[in-house]
Amino acid sequence: MKILHNSAMALVAVLMTATFATTVVAAEQGVTDNEILVGSVGVMTGPYYIYGKLSMNGLEAVFDKVNEAGGVHGRKIRLVREDSFCKPEGAIAAVKKLIYAHKVFAIVGGACSNATLAAKPEIVRSGIPFNVFAAVADGITSPPSPNIFTTQLTAAIESRAQLKWALDKGAKRIAVVAQHDAWGRSRYEPLIAAMKAKGMTPVADEEMTLDTNDATTHILKAMNGKADAVIMILYPKPGAVLMRDAIKLGFKPIWVGQTAINDWDNFEGQIGIKGSLKNFSTITAVLYQPNDPEMKEWTARIKKLFPNDNLSTFNQNGIGAGQVFVEALKRAGPNPTRASFLKAMGSLKNFKTDVYPGPITCNSPKSHQCNQSPAWLGEVDGKLKLIGVTTLN
Amino acid sequence: MMMFSYLTATGITTGALYALVALGIVVVYKATEVVNLAHGDLFMIGGFFAYTLHVMWGIPYIPSLLLAVAGSFLVGIVTDRIAYRPLMSQGLVSVLLATIGFSFMLKGIARIVWGGKGDYLPFPPLVAPEPIQFGGIMILSQHLVVVAGAVLVMICFAVFFKTTRAGKWMQATADNPKAATLVGIRVSRVYMYTFGVGAAAAGAAAVLMAPLTLLYPDIGFTLFIKGFAAAALGGLGSIPGAILGGFLVGLIEQFAGGYIDTSVQDVSAFVVIMFAMVFLPNGLLGLRGVRKV
Repeated sequence: MKILHNSAMALVAVLMTATFATTVVAAEQGVTDNEILVGSVGVMTGPYYIYGKLSMNGLEAVFDKVNEAGGVHGRKIRLVREDSFCKPEGAIAAVKKLIYAHKVFAIVGGACSNATLAAKPEIVRSGIPFNVFAAVADGITSPPSPNIFTTQLTAAIESRAQLKWALDKGAKRIAVVAQHDAWGRSRYEPLIAAMKAKGMTPVADEEMTLDTNDATTHILKAMNGKADAVIMILYPKPGAVLMRDAIKLGFKPIWVGQTAINDWDNFEGQIGIKGSLKNFSTITAVLYQPNDPEMKEWTARIKKLFPNDNLSTFNQNGIGAGQVFVEALKRAGPNPTRASFLKAMGSLKNFKTDVYPGPITCNSPKSHQCNQSPAWLGEVDGKLKLIGVTTLN
Repeated sequence: MMMFSYLTATGITTGALYALVALGIVVVYKATEVVNLAHGDLFMIGGFFAYTLHVMWGIPYIPSLLLAVAGSFLVGIVTDRIAYRPLMSQGLVSVLLATIGFSFMLKGIARIVWGGKGDYLPFPPLVAPEPIQFGGIMILSQHLVVVAGAVLVMICFAVFFKTTRAGKWMQATADNPKAATLVGIRVSRVYMYTFGVGAAAAGAAAVLMAPLTLLYPDIGFTLFIKGFAAAALGGLGSIPGAILGGFLVGLIEQFAGGYIDTSVQDVSAFVVIMFAMVFLPNGLLGLRGVRKV
């Protein structure tokens, strides 16, 4: 009788423990037996929608592929989107809505740097895993917060890569032409610091704005400084004005651009002079151009889900971020919690995606900037090609 | 010396554009005493008209230019009829506010119609884009086109005001609207044509300058500020003043960028406006208080 009693009590205890454990697991926000709810925040409307909406489309294409194959440990991933309008107040509201109204498990997003920076305190406070797919400001991930990672190249990484590229090309006298708005300063300051660390100062340090329509003075000063390379921290429009006026004055340095100038044909059209990009190279965050054969599968998947999209680098940002997210989710085990997911994110080392030039490594406690490998685009025999990858420490 | 030569040449070419923008502002101000704050956006719309005709529809450059100017003229007339004229009786402040609203409306229309095709649209130049040697310095041939075109437009304006009846009506209305009404001039119609002519000047400037500035919906404000600085410096009511002011602002910009710092280049127009308001309230050639009899 006693044995029966003890066995019954043991069974009850086991059942209680199992029930409790199940309750705890099931209580993980955004995770049910057959679904994981993931949020995405970014600009979806207005002139900057390409950074948010198109990245989200890439992300959704990855989730769609995973779901077709049965999901992650049997759970399908469902994406819910919120528009930040590229505004700080919009991002804060969108993040709160995702966390507290939609109750998502994690967020993959962040398309405008200032908006994402504004939402950072709420993200940190809530502890929700947040993977950045497009925003580039270093302040989002530096100093590192336990729950925020980025797979996008950050501004400082690009600036350091620009300097390294120019030096590797043999430049000795470097001029800098930069926008000094928030976007430009986030790149300009790390660049000047990196130059200082190497005992260098720019031979010409000039400023342009988006509205500068003539760069004769900038070019004359770079020429006076005998610059052999010009690092451009510029959007395409002022960049085109600068290069056009350099051609006017017969100035032919090594031109070093960054990801803001990523539409080669359009940029040459803006300069208005054929062959003007001969000495120009620029950073790309992705390994393949959208029309490369390696992107065939993703082109088809994007087209299937979003008939109005032609695969772009913005879609590719979302694809890369999505693949990293899914890998961490797999590693988090069959019953993922936020803690196990973050542990898995922090364990990623040399993970290869279909789009990023280098491997993704997030296992440094000092940095959650997982993508340290900018690639370079340039003209070879009149054709646009990937001409190198810079790997930073 | 080389730097001085280049800065002077560039200052004159950009100054010619600012003079054209200022011309439109002054024409409207002279007749109506309204500073048309949508003038820069009329420039932008004129540029997009030309882009649609020339780049999207493949119409040759000269007909595109003429049609874009005509289109801008029509926009000026339509806005007078639907927005400015009904508000004229409410006072100038109401009209001024209407120009601000109209400015935002034009930007919105441009974003809807021409947005989403890349942020800055290139416009092919009329002449070969490669630089040429001119007076010992290298210059973009499109710059010469801008200067020549601007001078031509200025001459057209001078002839219009000196020799045509419409031009004289505009001057008479500007001088004294009540007296103009008494002698049988339909002042409201003169205002309408004035807004149209001002817009046409903006359209002409846009077509000439689009290959150098690129086209985007927000281009208007910056060019309005430059044009307004030129008009304020030259004298808001003076057409020769607008032209002189335009060239001076162009030169000041270049010399400030070249000899002080490039960061000063784009803000120098604001400094010119402040300087003119404080030290030259009537501008260099302004004739406030003097009336022709």
